[in-house]
Amino acid sequence: MAQIEQSDKGGKKKKGAQKKVAIHVDFTPMVDMNMLLITFFMLCTTMIQSRTMQIILPSNDKNIKEEQKTQADAKEAITLILDTEYDSHNQPLKDANGNTMHRIFYYEGMPDSTTVNIAGQKVNSKGAIQLERFFVEDGAGNKGIRAILRDRHKEAMDKYDELKNQWRNKEINKAQFDSLAKLNATDENLKHPVVIIKPGPNATYESLIYAIDELNLNQIRRYSIQHPDKTDSMLIRNFGKANPTLNVERPNVR
Amino acid sequence: MGKVKIKKKSTLIDMTAMSDVTVLLLTFFMLTSTFLTKEPTTVMTPSSVSEEMIPAKDLVTVLVSSADKNVNNPDPLAVEGKIFLAFTGDSVIPSEAIREQVLTKAVAKYNEKHKNKVTLTPKMVSNFKKSNMLGMPFKDMEEILNMETTEIDKLMTELSNPKVGIPINGNKEKDGNLNDFQVWMWALSSVATDSRKEAIENAGLVDGVDVQKIRELDILYNSLYQGRGVSIKADRDTPFGKINEVFDNLQTMGLNKFTLQTALKTEE
Repeated sequence: MAQIEQSDKGGKKKKGAQKKVAIHVDFTPMVDMNMLLITFFMLCTTMIQSRTMQIILPSNDKNIKEEQKTQADAKEAITLILDTEYDSHNQPLKDANGNTMHRIFYYEGMPDSTTVNIAGQKVNSKGAIQLERFFVEDGAGNKGIRAILRDRHKEAMDKYDELKNQWRNKEINKAQFDSLAKLNATDENLKHPVVIIKPGPNATYESLIYAIDELNLNQIRRYSIQHPDKTDSMLIRNFGKANPTLNVERPNVR
Repeated sequence: MGKVKIKKKSTLIDMTAMSDVTVLLLTFFMLTSTFLTKEPTTVMTPSSVSEEMIPAKDLVTVLVSSADKNVNNPDPLAVEGKIFLAFTGDSVIPSEAIREQVLTKAVAKYNEKHKNKVTLTPKMVSNFKKSNMLGMPFKDMEEILNMETTEIDKLMTELSNPKVGIPINGNKEKDGNLNDFQVWMWALSSVATDSRKEAIENAGLVDGVDVQKIRELDILYNSLYQGRGVSIKADRDTPFGKINEVFDNLQTMGLNKFTLQTALKTEE
């Protein structure tokens, strides 16, 4: 291809005809250079799709009046206390799939310090602490904290699934779906839970992101991030004593 | 004995097709690539289902370094929680201009309250403008910014060095004794407010009346206060306490809407 061989064996050479030379361009250096450039671009580019998650926190401004703050009814709230397990090197413990082992202590409404739940048994008191994880899959559908939150937001989530089906069946388009879903999540006729996320002393940044993810998946718009208080740590301590095999109580890693 | 005639074959391999392929690949990479920005440390952002893209302009990235994951390091926490800032501008105020304005404002603000004043020289400003991501205490600024850019970049990767990373503490008073991180954030909001004022004046608009028009003119201010302007980038294994410190400082400075950088979750 690159060499153009011009030969005319047949005809006689005419006098004064130009001498015909084989034209040949060697592309090897060109390929070398291109390969170098490709290597450079491959090394310098990012292929990870970076995304963002928006978060709105209350202002620290002390001048804000009490009535301006949105009050969440503590009786209606679900409190999630986040915790991460660590290995002997003080690195977050990973499961077989490489996911970090996070666990969530949760209770509903006001904390109940008189009852202590035993893990794996039927729940006695809603206000007493229970243990859950982000991902629990046993083939029988989604379990874990997602199922629990979904259950507390059932009315709105059922409607949301309906909307999703309409969108899948192309009855409504993406923009319509988005706006309807937004309306649905804030519909005053439906019951919406309030979630209080309390990252514990050992919780990692990832556990917070996962928790907010679960809220987003369950269309829960009202949540706040707080610090665990004395009652929370007492509840966890009691839960740990009642469930010694779970290794709940351990010194703070950081 | 008859001579065996060895046919002479040309060893030339035609490279044209190969060249074509490589050029195509090269084009693909050139068009799809977004360059990795130079950062002092690499962090693994947590994965999330959120599908929002990171804005490419008018963004301040707050990088929080992670602990050393090498188990042989006797003190892995020494490099944890160092804070770096990267300022990205837009077509109206390019990155370099934003960096210069923020630097000038921040240094002026710092000098108000501190005895050891920072004096900016043109070399320091130009070094600051050229660097993508920096983090240093104001008290070491003169020393660091007077170095050559390659040396600055090298120093920034030495995370255990106390001269690296922006100091941050639990100050909650916006009018009080601001820490270095808060001074940067103050300078940034001040630059945004000034640019907004200027935009309004130049266009002859009235604040509070031409809301929509002003919003189009002043992207920096809007992205900052609409929650698109500040983005926190931290490692998935960083303890929440370290991140919360940044949250808290941003809340104190009134920038209580911001974004967290995540990677797209592939499963589910």
